[in-house]
Amino acid sequence: MSHWMFNCKEVSRRISESMDHDISLYQRMLIRMHLLMCRYCARFRRQVLFLRELCRSRRLDESVLDTSVNLPPDARERIRQALKP
Amino acid sequence: MKQVPEEISVADPDLDPETWLDQYGDYLYQFALARIRNKAVAEDLVQETFLAALHGRKSFKGRSAVKTWLSAILKHKIVDYLRNKRREQVINDTDTVTETVDGFFHRNGSWKIRPGKWTLDPSKIYEQREFMDTFYKCLSDLPDRLSKAFMLREMEGYSTKEICNALQVSSTNSWVMVYRARMFLRRCLELFWFKKTKDENR
Repeated sequence: MSHWMFNCKEVSRRISESMDHDISLYQRMLIRMHLLMCRYCARFRRQVLFLRELCRSRRLDESVLDTSVNLPPDARERIRQALKP
Repeated sequence: MKQVPEEISVADPDLDPETWLDQYGDYLYQFALARIRNKAVAEDLVQETFLAALHGRKSFKGRSAVKTWLSAILKHKIVDYLRNKRREQVINDTDTVTETVDGFFHRNGSWKIRPGKWTLDPSKIYEQREFMDTFYKCLSDLPDRLSKAFMLREMEGYSTKEICNALQVSSTNSWVMVYRARMFLRRCLELFWFKKTKDENR
């Protein structure tokens, strides 16, 4: 059986994991080497990093807000009542 | 004005639901309306958000700004709403997304469904309402627990430990769940956004 560093499925899983916890320097080096050889895993990495950027950017959600509309008064009152202890 | 006992008023205006409503009601409504273009539904989602916040405020403890916290709750509500709505429309919608990523790879571990080339201009993408619609649609296409795991991690910045507590899974499990979610989300965006815009631009 060949080493995981030649296996895109294993590499992509480790790329994802490296975004969620620290992985060893050794593993990171192997991933780097794989990425030099494999453009699909390189794309995968860029894309999941883009997803992260997307989620963390407040600009994203707020750029499409219509700030001229407000919560209608009757809805506001209803919610206020619902929040009463 | 009602006289409020000293320790409560000093305690934390951040934990007062009525203050939330005054300060963030409009913002949350605008937020919901941007995703769900239906005023009645947007109102309901805002109400549910405040109620959920009321019940969950003990666990909040100022880990983020109130506004961020409330928006996070609302985002979960929006994704849940979109998911339920599609379930009603499509009969026999047994999680269109399979639970594993095996289908993306050959048996030897090489890519079967290869990640495509995305040409993206982030500054443009941020201004496109349709892009956000697609993104939320893709989130709601994920099985419930996968989208939760992903959103907790990427939108709310939960640590592995916090995700494990919230979803009652092991660390390894949480990493696998987030991995699957990432895999399917990027594929979904590729199918419904990047392919589409590429064709249009031609």
